[in-house]
Amino acid sequence: MKAIDIESLKSAWKNEQGFENKTLSQSDIEKFLRKKSRDITQLFKKGLGFDVVLKSIMGASLIGIILLFSDNLALVISMIVLLGLNLWAIWFQVNMYRRIPQTDMSTPAIRSSLEKRIQFYHQHYIKSLYIGALSNVLVFVSGSLYYFYFKYGEIRPLDLVDIVVFGTAIIIAFVFGAVIQIAQHNFQVKQLESCLQEIDEDSITVLTLKEQRNKKLRLFFIALLALVCGLLLLAYFVFR
Amino acid sequence: MTHERNDKPFLELIHRHQSILHKICFAYCNNRSSREDLQQEIVLQLWKSYPSFKGNSLFSTWMYRVALNTAINLTSKPGILTDSPKAPEAAYDPGDEYQLSEEIKILHKAIAFLKKIDKAIILLWLEENSYEEIAETIGITVKNVSVRIVRAKSRLAEIMQKLQ
Repeated sequence: MKAIDIESLKSAWKNEQGFENKTLSQSDIEKFLRKKSRDITQLFKKGLGFDVVLKSIMGASLIGIILLFSDNLALVISMIVLLGLNLWAIWFQVNMYRRIPQTDMSTPAIRSSLEKRIQFYHQHYIKSLYIGALSNVLVFVSGSLYYFYFKYGEIRPLDLVDIVVFGTAIIIAFVFGAVIQIAQHNFQVKQLESCLQEIDEDSITVLTLKEQRNKKLRLFFIALLALVCGLLLLAYFVFR
Repeated sequence: MTHERNDKPFLELIHRHQSILHKICFAYCNNRSSREDLQQEIVLQLWKSYPSFKGNSLFSTWMYRVALNTAINLTSKPGILTDSPKAPEAAYDPGDEYQLSEEIKILHKAIAFLKKIDKAIILLWLEENSYEEIAETIGITVKNVSVRIVRAKSRLAEIMQKLQ
């Protein structure tokens, strides 16, 4: 078998005419400019945009509940608290949108553009995914209250079992939303991480990423615990 | 996307240098649809970055840099197969569309088997970029570039031997 001399292929590569065929016309190239980018920063933007719209709809829905149950003071106060939380979440997501790194691919080295995206995801965007999962909780809570209103015209008093069932459903709505979102994003971010690892294996950057992953996990459990306690308290005040 | 800028000079430049687009897309994609996606993404990123091109380097050098950066940063969605072919037979054959010499066809197939960063290093090396330029584009040291080039070349030779 003939030995391969890669050095000798260098000039053959430079002189290869096959790739010079202009298979793309200028109008083909122009068409590309009208398409949407598939860069991961676009995924961040799309996710945040969708969540802001959903949370705005939920805000309107909560106002509707306040108007429908205006004679129930405990419920009105609870809904005002949720509305405030919802407004804060929208503000948080809008701020996050502004922090998404720019996608100019010409200035940074490949390594720094990878680092920029990965760090943004682990340090900032991951929080938005938890905030985003709160939308599921709001959909469930407002959906249930509308159901009560249109079915019974009031909120029936709930016993302990009802509160446990509703509490569990709220937790499932939150965890399900968060897990799906995180899994989808992790799938893509891991591809970037493997490239970064390939550039610089065993470096501080890789170790930092591992630390960030552990921090992310801790943050998730703290957020989950706070949510469960908050919602159970809310359920107690609303349905007692 | 708004088109307030004058597209014409940009489109002409991309049209003139489209061989860079083809070379990179064939190296990073193993099927026609992912290749079209990457072509589109590279053109979009070139368009976004074009205002920052000040002419301090050749347009082709700048285009290579943006295109490689885009190819490496582009991720596939869950459920879609990744772009690294698992077996030689799975590699997309650019010779189907282009009249390439036999040795370049094999070289291209072999490049498709390298890891993403090694592909970038080898492509830049084949385009006769200096070690300093490669180091700057990737974000590693010059010493690291020389080690990686030696390693990638021997891996390429090994794969090409099998493909021949």
